[in-house]
Amino acid sequence: MEHLLAPLVGDASPVTVIGLCKNAGKTTAMRRLMAELGEERLALTSVGRDGESTDLVTGTEKPDLYVKAGDLFATARGMLSLCDPTLEVVGLTDVMTPLGPVAILRALSDGYIQLAGPSAAGQLPPLTRTFLELGAQRVLIDGAAGRKSLAGAGVEGVALLCTGASLDRDMELVVAETAHTCWLFSRKPPENPRLRQALEGLEDRFALFTPEGEPMELPLDEGGSPRWNKLPRQPLVVWAAGGIIDPLLKTLARRGAPTTLVAADATHVLAGRAALDLFLRTGGELLVRRELTIAAVAANPWSAYGWHFEPDKFIDALRQVIDLPVVNVKEAQA
Amino acid sequence: MKLTLELRGNAGLQWVLERLSPLSPFGRTAARDLPWYGPGDEAALEEELDNVALSMELWNAGNTRPQEGPACGCGGTELDPADLKDAASALRGVTKQLPLFHDIRGSFDRDPGVPFDLVELFEIKHFLVTLERLVQAYEVMPALSGITFPSLAEALELMDPDGRRLPTFTVANCYHNDLAPLRVEKAKLEKAIRMTQDDKRGPLLEKRRQLAVQEDHLELVVRQELTEKLMAWKDRFLSSMETLGRLDLIVAKAKLALRYQCVRPALSRDKTLTLREVRHPQVEEDLRNRGESFTPLDLDLGPGCTVITGANMGGKTVSLRSTVLSLLLCQCGFFVFARSASLPLFDRVELILADSGPGAGGLSSFGKEVHLLDNLLRETAGQFFFVALDEFARGTNPQEGAALARALVRHLGGLDCMALMTTHYDGVSDVASAHYQVAGLVRDIQGDEGDDPRKRIARRMDYRLQPAPPGAPCPRDALRVCRLLKLDPTLMELFQADL
Repeated sequence: MEHLLAPLVGDASPVTVIGLCKNAGKTTAMRRLMAELGEERLALTSVGRDGESTDLVTGTEKPDLYVKAGDLFATARGMLSLCDPTLEVVGLTDVMTPLGPVAILRALSDGYIQLAGPSAAGQLPPLTRTFLELGAQRVLIDGAAGRKSLAGAGVEGVALLCTGASLDRDMELVVAETAHTCWLFSRKPPENPRLRQALEGLEDRFALFTPEGEPMELPLDEGGSPRWNKLPRQPLVVWAAGGIIDPLLKTLARRGAPTTLVAADATHVLAGRAALDLFLRTGGELLVRRELTIAAVAANPWSAYGWHFEPDKFIDALRQVIDLPVVNVKEAQA
Repeated sequence: MKLTLELRGNAGLQWVLERLSPLSPFGRTAARDLPWYGPGDEAALEEELDNVALSMELWNAGNTRPQEGPACGCGGTELDPADLKDAASALRGVTKQLPLFHDIRGSFDRDPGVPFDLVELFEIKHFLVTLERLVQAYEVMPALSGITFPSLAEALELMDPDGRRLPTFTVANCYHNDLAPLRVEKAKLEKAIRMTQDDKRGPLLEKRRQLAVQEDHLELVVRQELTEKLMAWKDRFLSSMETLGRLDLIVAKAKLALRYQCVRPALSRDKTLTLREVRHPQVEEDLRNRGESFTPLDLDLGPGCTVITGANMGGKTVSLRSTVLSLLLCQCGFFVFARSASLPLFDRVELILADSGPGAGGLSSFGKEVHLLDNLLRETAGQFFFVALDEFARGTNPQEGAALARALVRHLGGLDCMALMTTHYDGVSDVASAHYQVAGLVRDIQGDEGDDPRKRIARRMDYRLQPAPPGAPCPRDALRVCRLLKLDPTLMELFQADL
């Protein structure tokens, strides 16, 4: 098999496959990656099942992954009846899901499995560590689909971004959304070391700094919310721990002095493109505390809803605006 | 006797239990559901206290800097130092396993016809392997009385047929004769699938699917057999878990006693209660945080009602709470917060506080007191009980209140009980079986007017309880306390003029 994705992810682990929308070709990319990494002992899990579990239980819509003997995976106990390799239970995590606790299993034979892993971001790193202790060479995570549900998923290692016709009928819009997500993921941490240090481990919902990293007092109202209109008219750095949404960007854009907004990471930026454009045009800058890496964009010209784009045109359009490798997973497979 | 939330909270037992740290889910259950050792359970209680004492000695010997001799309050055993060291490390071996247990009681609550799933079988094997390690360590230390584990060796052999004690579980080939050949065939097929191009795999995958269904069916048969066999040992599993809980609780009690330098209570057979330097740990900690120290109390009680009088803020309520806490701890098999204690066993111990939260069902504080007392008297007919009453009947007019308090003291004197009552009413101690008085505001100190009023009172107050003759008048200290609390001067003048 031609190695298409494996060279792009290199030695990175974990590799998280995320989708811009449902049916963006996440599973196809995951399968492709598993096949290309066939020599490695893989460990698999998933995040963010939201709403898909019904389909999972009926086993109709959600396709299986085919693992090889020796691979490890973590899935909810309720999923086990849908997994058909000879299984060895090697551990039980304290992560609870609606389908029972997440168990760690080793496939003693090849076979089909269904993943339903932890849904909270914080539960992934310990699981990843356990996988490595159990001898996994690389961890693959079936990540969330839909930009909003990526929020706080805290992608570790590198991500593989899946995009496709299922997002919208309008190809230009799909290309623009994909480019926007790639742009978000390429946001950098602050260059000023003092500021970087000040942000390290910060748990406040909001905080205010000078561009040099000097902490400043943030004016608050009785309810404890920041009074943005009371900010001094000078360049400032605003830290926001939670999701960054349209109203915050619009307020900061209007305050009459340049603002550097620092988010926890790219997945926390939930605002639409219009609000972000407004913020940036008024001199705003967007930075992140933790940098995330997209290794490649996997594009799927076929939608699940009956329409599709011309493959070459779609890939070309993406390549023109995205400074990352773009591959057509479906095409390469044929 | 039921330890209600209100009693646990008022006496400070809840505070103590929050500092108890059982390590296993079974220990946590045991700590939630504490046994009550009443009259007639002396032997069982002594056995529990023996166990706590032994655990204390072993735990202490395993510390890097053991406390010296009687400091741990557990008395010595006849172990020579070398054996003691081995036993101490064995106990550490036992406690190392305790946190590893998962609660699998739920799995056994089933119809034996419903097979365990793979994860449940894994959990059962994990339990058996962990239990085996714990029992191996436990066998090296001197046995705690009443703590023995039923053999589950056969179950472990069943769940770990290759004897490797690996922390994993799979339906191994040895469980069914047909499994090995089927799995070999399936593996061959899977190898063939790997060698075949994606688009030509269809028929092979279909064949594999059929084999996988057969394998699943065989595994189900095996799981059913395992379930049936394991369920036959259900009682042993459950009793092992209960024993683990008791063992865990004993060690937790021992660690608590060492941490707070508690003492083993002696059980008095003659219906007398003796406490020397009894402390209330919750109040003591609170005082320590404020830079003050707790004055330990001495108390001797006999049958009938003992009355405590004394200045406001003189620690009368604390003495009630300390006494009740000691009794509750002792009767739940704990060491007590004192230098020495000799306590009888009661069928029931109650603490009635005048201001313990809102009255139930539209009762005022007086109404509630009366209601609680009435309930207690009804429910303890024919029982030996202890009751502590804080300023009983203070919520009504002084004349009637004093008469009611006197009547109660007389009445309790005729019952099979021991009671302790604080009061500001004169004439109550006349009819009591004994009378204690807080030494009171005895220290004359000048020149600290700027300090915190609480500190000023504490500095002047001698909190010790002193035996007083029956009928000794209640101290008149309200004026001085008000002055120390800096009550409004105009009001003070009027108060003083009226006295």
